[in-house]
Amino acid sequence: MLTASKNEASDLREIEAFLYREADLLDAGNLRAWRDLFTEDGTYWLPISPDQDDPLGHISIIYEDKMMMAIRAENFGHRLAASMQYAVRSSHIVANTRLQERSADGSEIVVKSNFQAVIYYRTQSVYAGTCTHKLRREESDWRIVQKRVDLINCDADHKSIVIYI
Amino acid sequence: MSYSVGRLDKLVEKNRVHRDVYTNPEVFDLEMERLWGRAWVYVGHESQVSQAGEFITTSIGTEPVVLSRDKFGQVHVLYNRCGHKGAKVAAHKTGKTSMFRCPYHGWSYHLDGKLNVVPHDRGYDDTGFDREDPQFSMQPVARVASHRGFVFASLAGDGPDLKTFLGATIATIDNMCDRSPVGKVEVVGSSLPYMHDCNWKMFIENLNDAVHPMVAHASVGHATRKVVDGLPEGAPTPGEAEIISPFGGSYEFFDSLGCRTMPFGHSFMGGKGSIHSSYSEIPGYMESMVASYGQKKVDEILSQNRHNTTVYPSFTLKDAVQVARVCRPIAVDKTLIESWHFRLVGAPEEMLHRTITYSRLINSPASMVGPDDWDCYERMQNSLQSESAHWVDMRRFIGQEKLEGDVTVSPGTSDQASRNQYKAWSAYMTGEVA
Repeated sequence: MLTASKNEASDLREIEAFLYREADLLDAGNLRAWRDLFTEDGTYWLPISPDQDDPLGHISIIYEDKMMMAIRAENFGHRLAASMQYAVRSSHIVANTRLQERSADGSEIVVKSNFQAVIYYRTQSVYAGTCTHKLRREESDWRIVQKRVDLINCDADHKSIVIYI
Repeated sequence: MSYSVGRLDKLVEKNRVHRDVYTNPEVFDLEMERLWGRAWVYVGHESQVSQAGEFITTSIGTEPVVLSRDKFGQVHVLYNRCGHKGAKVAAHKTGKTSMFRCPYHGWSYHLDGKLNVVPHDRGYDDTGFDREDPQFSMQPVARVASHRGFVFASLAGDGPDLKTFLGATIATIDNMCDRSPVGKVEVVGSSLPYMHDCNWKMFIENLNDAVHPMVAHASVGHATRKVVDGLPEGAPTPGEAEIISPFGGSYEFFDSLGCRTMPFGHSFMGGKGSIHSSYSEIPGYMESMVASYGQKKVDEILSQNRHNTTVYPSFTLKDAVQVARVCRPIAVDKTLIESWHFRLVGAPEEMLHRTITYSRLINSPASMVGPDDWDCYERMQNSLQSESAHWVDMRRFIGQEKLEGDVTVSPGTSDQASRNQYKAWSAYMTGEVA
């Protein structure tokens, strides 16, 4: 449980700014710079069922570490990929940001936000749900230990999803 | 229907098929009746309904069905249709219940589909209403049979039995189960669905099409190699790379695997080796297998390694990876593919983790493999509308087949698997015995 802190409001502003920067990099399709926001042990998780608690023993839509993020960055827009011969444009709106947990020394936090992402890839699709970012302060900035994206339609019959949401 | 049997017969030639098999809605409707309405179609695995009262909903062709287990332990496959006004009775993908109840007028059914309660039923006095009449029940499909927990059903009362139908593909199911130290597999969790904008046959034909991986999946192969080459010297090959890299295998590699085809349209690649042969060992697995079977038998089990065994028209299995994909046609240009993941009961949990990783990397709608196949299918579905040509070619390595009993062996990059599927397709569609 989050303990009240007089710095909470300013912390939240700083964290929001970080989340906007992260969303911006996805919207720009800059997967290399986006990947750099993660810690070395960082992961991105797009579960397939609501309240899924296990990324290893149950299927997910995406569960990737930094190596897989590097492969995806190399593959994104690759001239030999049939699926990549189309524009991929997205627009994220991040809101309702709230701090969920903070470690005693303040170096690790869990922050939840709601989002809507409109992604134009062949046709326009709307994705919405909740993000849970586990962030760690490394040097002077935050880094992502895990970004978990819970889509409200996580268990729907999806067509191809070619970029992180 | 304007599609006569005579005309259907002309859609398939020995080395090509007419585009109408992929694009014509009348042909699709006839497929639902004659092919999906007659073949043994995969419904689910018994572990999904391990307890009395459990059920799953799915479809056979375009027929909605329920797989249920009654209080006596018996498994049933029922049409998911109320015997009263025809409403779908069970809507959840999975559930547990003491009876099925239609949410419209409250008719309820036992788990074997028999009519239980009709509310306010004195209105049926002296009307000739017979509650034993099957039309007032959730009707069972014509035939249900299972092999090692894999439940198949046929909407037709006559035809070959399941064992005859499965033929040489039965060894793939057996091998997957035998890879468990106790000889059992079970479904883990929910499926991974992936909606495709293409005809169902494009997916099925692609399973044993070995001339596409090195082209369609070149990009992810390159991307993986580039990242792995950049790892520090001496670093172990990541499991993900072991899974992705073979998708960029050479023509010669796939030719050497060979393609085996058999009656009823089934096929598989490999046999003693496949794209899954060079995975690293998972600690504890060999020990648990040897303790159960002894070294000699374990070597025999693990030496079988087939790639994409296709049980035409609905089911495809990777024995060495413990992943099944189920093909569910929805419309002439719409197909749902569902991946299911199996635990080798008694094996280290890391085996399941590899199964899950495999499916995420290859089968997920957000993988870097599936979307390239998806895109190629959709391109075909779209451009087959072109008036520039009406035929789709499948003549690679025709005439180079060798017979081994009722199994036909061809080079891996042959189109023989597709030709074999259309042989079965024609038999179903023109009403001959498949």
